[in-house]
Amino acid sequence: MPVAPVLQLRQLAKSFGGARALRGVDFDLQAGEVHALLGENGAGKSTLIKIVTGAHQPDGGTIAVGGEPVADLTPAAAQALGIACVYQQPALFPDLSVAENIALRLERGGAFRTVGWRARRECAQDLLRRIGAAISPEAEVHSLSMPEQQLVEIACALGSGARIVIMDEPTASLTHQEQHLLFGVVRDLRKNGVGVIYISHRLEEIFALADRVTVLRDGESVGTHPVAAMDEAGLIRLMVGREVAQIYPPSEAAPGAVVLALRGVGCTASGVRDVTLDVRAGEIVGLAGLVGAGRTELARVLFGLTPADTGEILLHGQRVTLRSPQEAVALGIAYVPEDRRRHGVVLEMPIAHNMTMAVHRRLFRGAWLRFGAERSLALDYIRDLAVKCTGPDAPGGSLSGGNQQKVSLARWLATKPKVLILDEPTQGVDVGAKSEIHKIVRRLAKEGLAVLLISSDLPEVIGMSDRIGVMRGGTITAMLPGTADPHTVMAAALGQEETAG
Amino acid sequence: MSRHFRELSVVGALAVVLIAMALFAPAFFQPQPLLSLATREAPTLVVACGMAVVIICRQIDISVGSMFSVVSVCAGLLAARGWPLLLVLPVAAALGAALGALNGLLVAGLRLPSIVVTLATMVALRQGLNLVRQGEFVNMPDAVQWFGLPQATGQWLLVGSALALLVGLGLALRHLAAGRFVYAVGTEAEAARLAGIRPQRVTFAVFVFIGALTGLAAMMNIVQSPQVQPLSGMGLELKVIAAVVVGGVAISGGRGNLWGAFAGLLLLACVAPALTHLRIEAYWEKAIQGAIILLAVVADGVRQRKQN
Amino acid sequence: MLLLYVLIAEWLFFYFAGTTTNRRGIVVGFGTLDRQFDILRHSCEIGLLALALTPVIITAGIDLSVASLLGLCAILFGKFWHDAGMPIPLAAALALGCGALGGALNAALITTLRLPPLIVTLGTYSLFRGLAEAITRGSATYTNFPESFLFLGQERWLGLPTQAWLFFAVAAGVWVLVHRMTFGRSFRAIGFAPDGARYAGLPVNRRVALAYILAGLIAALAAIIYTARLGQAKADAGMGYELFAITAVVLGGTSIFGGTGSVHGTLLGVAAIAVLKNGLASLPVVMRMNAAEEMAGLLTGALLLLALTAGVLPRLWAQRRPPPAAPAIASSTPPSPA
Repeated sequence: MPVAPVLQLRQLAKSFGGARALRGVDFDLQAGEVHALLGENGAGKSTLIKIVTGAHQPDGGTIAVGGEPVADLTPAAAQALGIACVYQQPALFPDLSVAENIALRLERGGAFRTVGWRARRECAQDLLRRIGAAISPEAEVHSLSMPEQQLVEIACALGSGARIVIMDEPTASLTHQEQHLLFGVVRDLRKNGVGVIYISHRLEEIFALADRVTVLRDGESVGTHPVAAMDEAGLIRLMVGREVAQIYPPSEAAPGAVVLALRGVGCTASGVRDVTLDVRAGEIVGLAGLVGAGRTELARVLFGLTPADTGEILLHGQRVTLRSPQEAVALGIAYVPEDRRRHGVVLEMPIAHNMTMAVHRRLFRGAWLRFGAERSLALDYIRDLAVKCTGPDAPGGSLSGGNQQKVSLARWLATKPKVLILDEPTQGVDVGAKSEIHKIVRRLAKEGLAVLLISSDLPEVIGMSDRIGVMRGGTITAMLPGTADPHTVMAAALGQEETAG
Repeated sequence: MSRHFRELSVVGALAVVLIAMALFAPAFFQPQPLLSLATREAPTLVVACGMAVVIICRQIDISVGSMFSVVSVCAGLLAARGWPLLLVLPVAAALGAALGALNGLLVAGLRLPSIVVTLATMVALRQGLNLVRQGEFVNMPDAVQWFGLPQATGQWLLVGSALALLVGLGLALRHLAAGRFVYAVGTEAEAARLAGIRPQRVTFAVFVFIGALTGLAAMMNIVQSPQVQPLSGMGLELKVIAAVVVGGVAISGGRGNLWGAFAGLLLLACVAPALTHLRIEAYWEKAIQGAIILLAVVADGVRQRKQN
Repeated sequence: MLLLYVLIAEWLFFYFAGTTTNRRGIVVGFGTLDRQFDILRHSCEIGLLALALTPVIITAGIDLSVASLLGLCAILFGKFWHDAGMPIPLAAALALGCGALGGALNAALITTLRLPPLIVTLGTYSLFRGLAEAITRGSATYTNFPESFLFLGQERWLGLPTQAWLFFAVAAGVWVLVHRMTFGRSFRAIGFAPDGARYAGLPVNRRVALAYILAGLIAALAAIIYTARLGQAKADAGMGYELFAITAVVLGGTSIFGGTGSVHGTLLGVAAIAVLKNGLASLPVVMRMNAAEEMAGLLTGALLLLALTAGVLPRLWAQRRPPPAAPAIASSTPPSPA
């Protein structure tokens, strides 16, 4: 007996600027089904979710909820249609109690109704009990741990009486016990006829929970399968798919002496623990891993933004302390950050000012600005890195993503660093600029720079790196050769060493 | 317990001050001067309630002193012309609300920083008043003072209505949805938006609210003396901000309540008489107020750093 | 640049409307050279405070305490000279040091405890003024300064009011700092993107501290000039000047949200306010009302609001304009009742 799926997406497409995030995705969700959504970072999962929750408008395609086509989906309309989402980053009120957080999400009505504190408390108590969370409804949210906040989010979704619940990596920060509670909730929802879209990188969860799985790759669906018919190796193959393309420039590395050495480095505040790693001159060491595996956190430790509190960092064999970015820069460490628009480039300032920002001391002796020197430095890098712009005076914000990235890179090359840390250097960058950036990085390594390349783009990290460190849970769990195949790297990142193949 | 630590510490400090006074300057506790003190502070309490709500909403309004003066003079003029007080009262509140709406429009509508907006309206209103009135006092008919009641009855009436307002608003802030919206917006405006609350509307409303309360406070001011001074609101903004911040309302929004603000006001209100009774010169009052503000802010800052 | 034309128009208006010939056939009012010098003399203190605030506001901060610090430093200067019997130069140097210290207090609270500048400087606004009142017991003033000191505030040197030379020197100094040195570059980066500045390895805390300490130092200098002009040091010196200074800065094109701004813009802003204030006082109609001070205050407040509004309108307008594709979708389906 064919029942209309509770959610049906047909040929959904979405582009951001020039980058196509979704290229015609089909997806459907039945009532009483747990449907897993799987894919690498950047495969289009979050874009898909944001369209379903009304946060983004699709460029093309149709959405039907309960068989009824829906146009112009807004967050409010999505809520009214019974779509609830548990985001990775909880959107809670830190200063208010758990009960009130849940109530503010669920209660509707005018501003001049009275608030039933007892009813709020009981409702929260009830929801928290149903998900088995040992959290007091009276607790203020800022005093909760990240996983506990996640549980509050889940309680909100549960209480909303939604018929479609989306869970975006709900277990990313949960303990084992909490995971089991969550699984109970998901099964409960399924039993009550709710459709659950479940996103997770943990394959064992998908096998334990999901009825069907859809794999996304490069913004396209590569197939929907019943979970019972799949095994882990098969899933990994679907996710990785393509061979590593030949577009990556060949390695000409002749690694020299160890430049940067980490010995059991950890930082409690950011969850980095016991990292041991060597990076040699002329070598590109890739850091692979899932979002939240601790790669950016490690880079922040090395740049002095969140100083290490255990272990030691050696630079050319000398023990160093890195307590601030200034110290890191002075020692020849450069960090091209992941969030280009907030951290990499000051959008309102001219390219030239951006490029010289890290070399004030060297370029501007006695703190006097020398506009001539600044301009010629900027022109040099604009030519050298082929930055497409109207000139050194163009504001950083007027450039495309790839060219902004080059400006960010130029800023750090100007410091003549010894160690260059690149954090997702080609994220959101179009294909042409991407390959240009790859060539530049290769050239820099050849010139003797020690490069640490953080990337969630599996082909990139494999194509560019001489060695690959795979991070998981804040530490490096595997060191693989640059010739490792994607399946092995993905399996290591997922914590599935035995399925390598 | 820990949730009310901040309020309790203010109450503790207040108790220490009162005990010290009981030991060293028992004259402070004579009922008549105490009643006079309470009457003088009653309008301040009303404005402080409004300020607490504004700061909980993560805004600030430093134009209350000027609004207070403007409404006092306008209401005084109406009363002097023989308007019945029962009619002047809503007019005063409405005038205050209208002035507050101007602030609210600029802050919520144009998303300008509230400190600069209210700094500008503070000066514009004060100078505008001076321009029109040239510092002239308004003489009030006898029937206006203490509402035409005997002095003690009038004083009790003022103190009583200020306290009733405090209790009513304090309860509303806790038990009305509107009150909770203010907390929600002050804590995390974006999360509030996702929960279906309109932050800009709430922000506008709190400015109208403090304006209306300032209007009421001005009303409580003009019945206290035979003349209305045009400078009566000078420095009121600092006094109420100090009281509110000392009382545990976080300047970063979302935390605190009216009970704490009340305790903070009592503490500060005791400073001036305590200074005179303890034979410290009253000129220190402003400096001590400033120091208390800084102390409260630093304490909150240190606590917040520990939390993170 | 618009402000320059406004200033010229404003000046011309008062030149024609505020200049008259008295019964003895002598030209009096706005248009006289003496009056122009007078305007310059009277705008030095507010001008200095505006210069002090420019770097602070460029870092997206604010300092409400400058005028209170002016009062405190004036009192301290008087006390050092009169009560402690120090020579004027030493007293002035110590007063400048106290100004820097006051700025350092703001800086320490803002950078080390990450407190919002607004509330910190609101607290010191009250504290500094209160200390000044406490030291003088509300009423005492210091007078009878030597002629040689009053020369600084009341006489002319090389044709201009003496203090104007100091004012121009400070203006040149701050201009160089903001426009020709790396410090200004850092102020801007911090104002636009504090995180971005940190990720670029700029010493954010030290630069922010510099801005506030410099503000304190300049406020102290303004205190000395104020004392020399009036011949007395008193606790309410410069009361309310912070508004005029902030207005001058914002009028001069410095964004209250940080990043953009210039020192020459601030100077134009100071000039516009000074001309307005003095020009109003020379209008016959205002003279009859005897309300120049109040009118200037009212207009300055209104001007600040206008300048702020003009500053955000383009941004708001850009936000309101929906992206190109949106209207088609919006018009094809009625809004859902939810």
